[in-house]
Amino acid sequence: MKQMTEAQLSELEQDLNAIRNEVIADLGERDAQYIRRMVRLHRMLEAGGRVMMPFGFIPPVFVAATATLGIAKILENMEIGHNVMHGQYDWMNDPSLHSQTYEWDTVCTGDSWRRTHNYEHHTYTNIIGKDRDYGYAVLRLSDDEPWRPRHSLQFINYILLSVFFQWGVGLHELETEKLQRREISLREKLPFLKEFARKGGRQAFKDYVFFPLVTFPVAPIVLAGNVGANLIRNLWSSTVIFCGHFTQDAETFSEEECEGESKGHWYLRQLTGSSNFTGGRWLHILSGHLSYQVEHHVFPDLPAHRYPEISGKVQAVCQKHGIHYNTGSFARQYGTVLKRVLRHSLPEHLGGSSATTA
Amino acid sequence: MLAKQTQSRTLHWLGRQLFNRDDPAAFFDPLLERINPMWVQEYTPARVEQIIQETPDTKTLVLKPSRRWAGFRAGQHVNICVDVGGIRRNRTFSLSSSPILWQEQGRVTLTIKRLPGGRVTNWIHDALQTGTVIGMGEAFGDFLVPEPAQPVLFIAGGSGITPVLSQLETMAAIDYRAPVTLLYFVRTGDDVIAREKLQALSARYSALTLNIIATHETEEHRYLCDEDLDAIPGIKARQAFLCGPTGLMDLARNLLHQRGIADTDIHSTFFSVPQADLGNEALGGQVRFSGSKLDIGSEGDATLLDIAEAAGLSPRHGCRMGICHQCSCRKTAGTVVNRLTGQTSGPGEENIQICISVPKGPVSIDI
Repeated sequence: MKQMTEAQLSELEQDLNAIRNEVIADLGERDAQYIRRMVRLHRMLEAGGRVMMPFGFIPPVFVAATATLGIAKILENMEIGHNVMHGQYDWMNDPSLHSQTYEWDTVCTGDSWRRTHNYEHHTYTNIIGKDRDYGYAVLRLSDDEPWRPRHSLQFINYILLSVFFQWGVGLHELETEKLQRREISLREKLPFLKEFARKGGRQAFKDYVFFPLVTFPVAPIVLAGNVGANLIRNLWSSTVIFCGHFTQDAETFSEEECEGESKGHWYLRQLTGSSNFTGGRWLHILSGHLSYQVEHHVFPDLPAHRYPEISGKVQAVCQKHGIHYNTGSFARQYGTVLKRVLRHSLPEHLGGSSATTA
Repeated sequence: MLAKQTQSRTLHWLGRQLFNRDDPAAFFDPLLERINPMWVQEYTPARVEQIIQETPDTKTLVLKPSRRWAGFRAGQHVNICVDVGGIRRNRTFSLSSSPILWQEQGRVTLTIKRLPGGRVTNWIHDALQTGTVIGMGEAFGDFLVPEPAQPVLFIAGGSGITPVLSQLETMAAIDYRAPVTLLYFVRTGDDVIAREKLQALSARYSALTLNIIATHETEEHRYLCDEDLDAIPGIKARQAFLCGPTGLMDLARNLLHQRGIADTDIHSTFFSVPQADLGNEALGGQVRFSGSKLDIGSEGDATLLDIAEAAGLSPRHGCRMGICHQCSCRKTAGTVVNRLTGQTSGPGEENIQICISVPKGPVSIDI
């Protein structure tokens, strides 16, 4: 990790605060219109996908319906749900867009997500041992974690995690690794499991029971389409999220170096532990602007559609302080993610040079 | 919050499964709002049919709420919500029309005075157009005409006349059989709200004695005094209804007490949000944790989260540095200062991050 003095960190903090304050002072009608437009678009896609699905016996309609519903779920999870739950639109005082009550169209409950993602991941970003999002306790992505034989087949685990991503995210708070180490007991996790079953059941009921049943004669088609839509969403969100922190140059941190850290140090960690990818406007929207992961991690509660607008300023601050601003094309960034997953399947001396210690 | 549940339980349950929200009927609101804003389910939509300029700084909105609105009793108020600059703002106003108008024509009126610096009242005066649909809640409040009829004394000041207008119209319509006196205090003759209506009422409703008093037309201001009350026959037997500025309400209450009228016979209603009278650095205040039924005093720049924890509560929280919004909760009343920005909040209901909010005067939060 780049070494900076407290004075430099304090200057970094002020520079970033200035960017933030400018956006906060400007929040208003435009942001409200943006998110409401996204919500409207989601409702149209969702209704469109559901209505088209029973006509999926015509192959092109099946493809269109599945894609429409998949994109609806992506839009709702990434650009609306994730961002709303970060409190990006709390200032609007709209009960339908409030961080503490929003519930999204995925297996993970909003409450569990707010604990594991908003708090744990965004506070302890990329601190090995504290940020459980780093490898999701399934994958070894840094040499800071000792190699075990089971890691050699972790690419298969990665594929499985991506395919069943919403269930993986939903079960994240179960902390299976701690259960295995007997640090916690299953009994302690009962309230969580109850909530997980309720929400998971609700999601499965909707997509795999209710909609197929009400369209009974074509139930298999609707079921297949809904499975497909969920799969599209799972693969896409997993891919976007992996590009956010597991690219080649995204740094990791140890608990010691972050103990009692200042806000400036927290900012530095967010800047160096996250990575962006470039692309067109709709690529950004469908990634929930997590393509601007750096900006998102520095300012998780600013409306995400503002990230492209402030990206230039964040880059200028990085340049001023000599901090690497990690970005590249989607293909390049994702390539380095795959490389990281593969490389850490093997022990350090076999896995080639490690960029994480650079 | 302003919604009314009308669906059956099964449908509601199904809606929750399908749309992941406790008010599933509102799921398609963002679309419906574009097609016809009167179809919105989240709140009761009400169309602004007419805007009447009552005085230079007071307007009456004639509203046509959706038919699912449950109606009201004279003297009650409603919450309305409007989007100003992308922000949903809720405010409470008294209904100034009689329930009879609602029953016969499906219309209600709100009479709203422009408050200096008021975000919502200024927006209503400057930007609200006929045809706009605003959100409305169900009526509430117990500033109600006594039943069966008893002698009544209304003391109103300025725009505090609004619930009284509703009551007088209703009393006239049902021919309320008891003496009714209205003492209406205004700054000058130009500030009388609904003058014609009041005069027409006193002409056709013989039980009503109307006395409009201008306070600022003479060199020495002319406030409520003993003589005003002495002139009211049988004042001791009257039910008193007060609505106006704090100064008038306090004065009236004192004078009525001196006459031996008990507090149980004096009814008052909110007129305006009490302004926190605090200097720039005067922080701290009485905090009411309404969910836990706990009142805690605080001093200095302790945050609401610190205050709650010191009081033994454990509200949901996360980073304690204003980042993660785990601790966001509903403030129902009072003003807070944002520790990060130094900004002062509005007095109304809104969501705040308690880990960075410092009370400035009395505050109520939903914890």
